Amino acid sequence: MTEELLDVDDVHQSYGEEKVLEGISFEMDRQDVKVLVGPSGSGKSTMLRCINRLTDIDDGDISLDGESIYDLDENDLRRQVGMVFQDFNLFAHLTALENVTLGLKRVRGMGGKAAVEKAAWQLEAVGLREQANSYPAELSGGQKQRVGIARALAMDPKLMLFDEPTSALDPELIGEVLEVMRELAEEGMTMLVVTHEMGFARQAATDVLFLEDGKLVEQGPPDQLFEQPENERTEAFLGRLTKLHGGQ
Amino acid sequence: MDLTPLTSQPLGDWEFVWQQRQFFVEGTRIAVELTFYSIVLGFVLGLPAGVVEAYGGKYSRGILRPVGVAIRGTPILVIIAITYFAFGVSPAFLAATLALGVRSAAYQSQIFRGAIESVEGGQMEAARAVGLSKVQGIRHVVLPQALRRSVPGFQNEFTIVLKDTSIAYAIGVAELLKRSYDLFSLQTSAALEVFLAASLIYFVLTFTVNRGIEALNDRVAIPGGNY
Repeated sequence: MTEELLDVDDVHQSYGEEKVLEGISFEMDRQDVKVLVGPSGSGKSTMLRCINRLTDIDDGDISLDGESIYDLDENDLRRQVGMVFQDFNLFAHLTALENVTLGLKRVRGMGGKAAVEKAAWQLEAVGLREQANSYPAELSGGQKQRVGIARALAMDPKLMLFDEPTSALDPELIGEVLEVMRELAEEGMTMLVVTHEMGFARQAATDVLFLEDGKLVEQGPPDQLFEQPENERTEAFLGRLTKLHGGQ
Repeated sequence: MDLTPLTSQPLGDWEFVWQQRQFFVEGTRIAVELTFYSIVLGFVLGLPAGVVEAYGGKYSRGILRPVGVAIRGTPILVIIAITYFAFGVSPAFLAATLALGVRSAAYQSQIFRGAIESVEGGQMEAARAVGLSKVQGIRHVVLPQALRRSVPGFQNEFTIVLKDTSIAYAIGVAELLKRSYDLFSLQTSAALEVFLAASLIYFVLTFTVNRGIEALNDRVAIPGGNY
């Protein structure tokens, strides 16, 4: 098994005339936690969505475990790549538990009892044992997002994508979600995270990638990017973000 | 069932209606059956049509849409006449069921399409992100929510179909209105009483079933949800 898990190679993407990604390249080894930052419209979310093929790329290639994602079956790829959404997108008509079991049953083909056991365990791991039978509308934002994380984790993904997981949360609920993400990082999950939470980036990230106008401006370990950025745009952006969203 | 023979004594108009109650009951049964089969046919055709209109490709939608527009743009009496006289569908009960059912499908497809499109795009996206296929996403994520949202529109459609079964009168189906006409021609002084009795029956039917659908709606509502 190679160390490298994800290889994003010169990816170009556009919506009609509008170019969103212009030649993005980076790699992720197993257990890496990379944080994507950048101004809104810089292409961060699009980059994530290209990796699980919710969005198709125009040019370049993306490989997971040495195999181009375009050689994989779409649904099989998505089983291997978990995604957490800004707006949670929990299945509104299903309980927390059923949100987690749906994929286990329908995608992984697990039996009802095994799926329920695994889902219950996964919910407990994110601190939601008590809420297993609650419906999304009965949960707080932080609880919803933790269900979203449990739903993705239950599929045993190789890679987890987080698309601004705390941006829709009230400030007092952000901590509980970041805590779950930190634990996940410590357990060795490979994670690619779009977030403005600079505290999380400093503590948990192996690398921070700064995207602007669809280009990767700079990447490096958080200390380097926060303390001695090479590019002045990186410095300006991270400075502003740190002021807004906390550095330590 | 035939008309009960008239007694030699002329009856009061309400007495006349009461005497012919079996005749009304039979007509009610036929109206209910017509409604039931038409709604079921409308659902069986209308739900897939709604799904195709919401998710289908250019061609499947290109075929379906004009058909729906044409049916919805045609008076029900014309649809019934074409089914019965032009296509020669027989017996009349079957012709009426087909006509009402197909028209209901054209309307139900719009109820379901609208409900499907009202489900947030993020739901399907999350389903796909977990690894569900598009069909699985529709089946397990979108439709369960869309069907719940269809209930008010469906309730409306049910009421319309039930009342429109009276149009089957035009091709001689012995439903409630046809029987009312027969009774009226038997005792013309009882016009008001006969038609009031018929409309009372229609009202009781729509009222009861609507209450039933509302109870069902409460039962399947998503806890804590606003739809």
